[in-house]
Amino acid sequence: MVDERIYEMFRAIGRDLYVAGMISSHGGNLSVRLGDRVVIKRRGAMLGNLKPSDLIETGLEKNDSGVALASTELLAHRTIYKMTPALSIVHCHPRMAIAFSLSRDEIVPVDNEACYLLKKIPVVTEEFASGTPEMAKKVATALQDYKIIMLRGHGSFAIGQTLDEAFFWSSTLEEACQIALYAKLIDEPFIEYRKMSESYHKF
Amino acid sequence: MRPIHWNMEMARLFIGGRGLGARLLWDLVGPDVDPLSTENVLIFTNGPLTGTGYQTSNRFSVTTKSPLTGTILDANSGGFWGMQFKKAGYDVMIIRGKIEKPVWIEIKNSEIQFHDATKLWGMRVFAVTERLGQSNNKRNVLCIGPAGENLSRMAAIMNDRERALARGGPGAVMGSKNLKAVVVEGKDHPSIEDPERFKFMLYETRKLLAASPLTSQALPEFGTVVLMNIMNNIGALATRNHQQTQFEGADAISGEELTEKYLVKNAACWACPIGFTRISRTEKVEGEGPEFESTWAFGAQCGIDDLPAIIEANTLCNDLGLDTISAGSTIACAMELSEKGYLDSDLRFGRADQLAPTLEAMAYRRDIGADLADGSFRLVTKYGHPELSMSAKGLEFPAYDPRGMQGQGLLYATSNRGGCHMRGNMVGLEVLGLPKLIDRFQVQGKSSFVILHQNSNAAIDSLVLCKFTNMGVSDEYFARVLSAVTGIPYATGDMIKVGERVWNLERLYNLREGFNRKDDTLPLRLLNEAPADGPSQDWVVKLEPMLREYYRGRGWDENGVPKKQKLVELSLASLVARQGEKW
Repeated sequence: MVDERIYEMFRAIGRDLYVAGMISSHGGNLSVRLGDRVVIKRRGAMLGNLKPSDLIETGLEKNDSGVALASTELLAHRTIYKMTPALSIVHCHPRMAIAFSLSRDEIVPVDNEACYLLKKIPVVTEEFASGTPEMAKKVATALQDYKIIMLRGHGSFAIGQTLDEAFFWSSTLEEACQIALYAKLIDEPFIEYRKMSESYHKF
Repeated sequence: MRPIHWNMEMARLFIGGRGLGARLLWDLVGPDVDPLSTENVLIFTNGPLTGTGYQTSNRFSVTTKSPLTGTILDANSGGFWGMQFKKAGYDVMIIRGKIEKPVWIEIKNSEIQFHDATKLWGMRVFAVTERLGQSNNKRNVLCIGPAGENLSRMAAIMNDRERALARGGPGAVMGSKNLKAVVVEGKDHPSIEDPERFKFMLYETRKLLAASPLTSQALPEFGTVVLMNIMNNIGALATRNHQQTQFEGADAISGEELTEKYLVKNAACWACPIGFTRISRTEKVEGEGPEFESTWAFGAQCGIDDLPAIIEANTLCNDLGLDTISAGSTIACAMELSEKGYLDSDLRFGRADQLAPTLEAMAYRRDIGADLADGSFRLVTKYGHPELSMSAKGLEFPAYDPRGMQGQGLLYATSNRGGCHMRGNMVGLEVLGLPKLIDRFQVQGKSSFVILHQNSNAAIDSLVLCKFTNMGVSDEYFARVLSAVTGIPYATGDMIKVGERVWNLERLYNLREGFNRKDDTLPLRLLNEAPADGPSQDWVVKLEPMLREYYRGRGWDENGVPKKQKLVELSLASLVARQGEKW
């Protein structure tokens, strides 16, 4: 049985993701690592309206009956936990960021907060961009170096110590992409205000 | 004296500092060695970042077998000495054996000399440091005081006069070798493989530290003692040998009080932009500190709200070369023993006048001090009440009462050097919200945070950086700086993996020494006696479920022994195979 304190975190972050327009009604997923166990959203559950029974606990390495109910992205989450220090994962479908991911291999923000927090977000390509071992490996490998990455045309994967933290990286990315889009629409010469911004690509 | 040939594979796997020290100690000191015998060693190590100029890259480490706990021990310290040792061209110094007459060592780049220290033996730390020519950016002195000479098991090695490699008694090991001091002068700057990337990380780190309210405001203004009221307010401030979790005199010994009435100015270690060292003055003394743990140890833990007496006790410990946490907590333990009639002494909670004479007695092993000099666990065992030592594996706890912080309880119980708060930053997570606040009473899942932070801190201790930097800057920055300095690509996960390797090697060391699951525990008071009131009312540490989850999460068996698969994953299997699995 998942602790009520953990359910409450899932419920709050799931609701906020939906309200922020970063997932569709049944899209995205969340998970946390508890030692050698993983708690993840049930397949088909609505993140914006989670019930305690929507949380599935299963093994990090070993399968049990929980895998029959877990999110399609369980493999990706397990692989990320095994390959990185992550304790929480937020996977969502931020619209502006997905749009940017269609045309570039990395997203370098122009706004202050995202520059400060993220520096740059790599974009990973995988033909079968959902639920496959290839996709899981690529995403996890990228997350060894970055706390948030984009899977081209699909969505973002963010890691943190808490769901709160991973949500922070996710919402910061989407906000950065919205600002970048507005700046592009304004279409006036960019006035550089960041010292050493040329190094962001190297981060 | 002979040079050590550098093994780059060992450096890649263990980085430096604490990690490298653990790896070397594994080969050099086995379970049959008495920590105070000639067979024990003192391993001083720098990390790859030491002396580079990266923020807080001033630290260095010492590793040995602890005379207090019998476990593996590392302690690290800031100031200037480590940077100077690096500039002299060294990363490691191993002190072995014992010399017949006291000596001190002088290192000036490639020139190393042994000097007679007969006239220095018996001198206190401040006098020795001055005599040997301490000058922060030019010549730095590491030494022991009377406590180390008299083999107190809580003796510190002091550096730059008032900084300490304190916990677990490394000063006694130095004293057992008749080594009074190591003085170092260096001229060369360490090289950096990717200076452009290094410069960028330096710039970004400065921005982050300047932006964090903790590292740019709270710490510089109030020092670490800012925690006194915070911990007291949440009912997690250990008081009177952990008999209570709140101290009615906390305001009088708070960071606010210290700043308002006794602070002369701030000081900083080399390359530290935070600069929160206190220089305090009372009518009797002026010197560095006290930091939070020292203020607590002589304050709340002893039921004392007399801040000048606490400042003076802290300064006296620095001069005698004593670990303030163990000293204060052992005195508190003796106060409880005496009040309950188990020990025939006049020590009593709240008696500020007893601090200085008791510390003197401990350093010189006089009267009751002879018993206290070896720590609370030996003291209470001698007097028949082992349950009254507030320690894990024999190392006294710092200020945080784990009944109000479940993760801190698991951290103490599983710490490889005993009851220590520097093995993982649960205060950040459970109290300060760094990086994000987690529920301090949550039990399920808490082990994951403890494991991650133990691994992360082991990596930071191997770099070697100050953990306060980590309160404004995340691990990913450290991995990038490490890559820039060494030219070896370390992803954040790689660096944390090194920390995990170090943690497991330390665990293997302790298993080899005979420690096992039964030692991963806490005093019965913390497991069975809930506070009667306050914000942690009715809570005890729920250790068993957290410990079971912890072992599984670490890939250890139910007895706390790393499984073979885990050792293979961490490239430690061959070490164990060579050793034979004796536990």
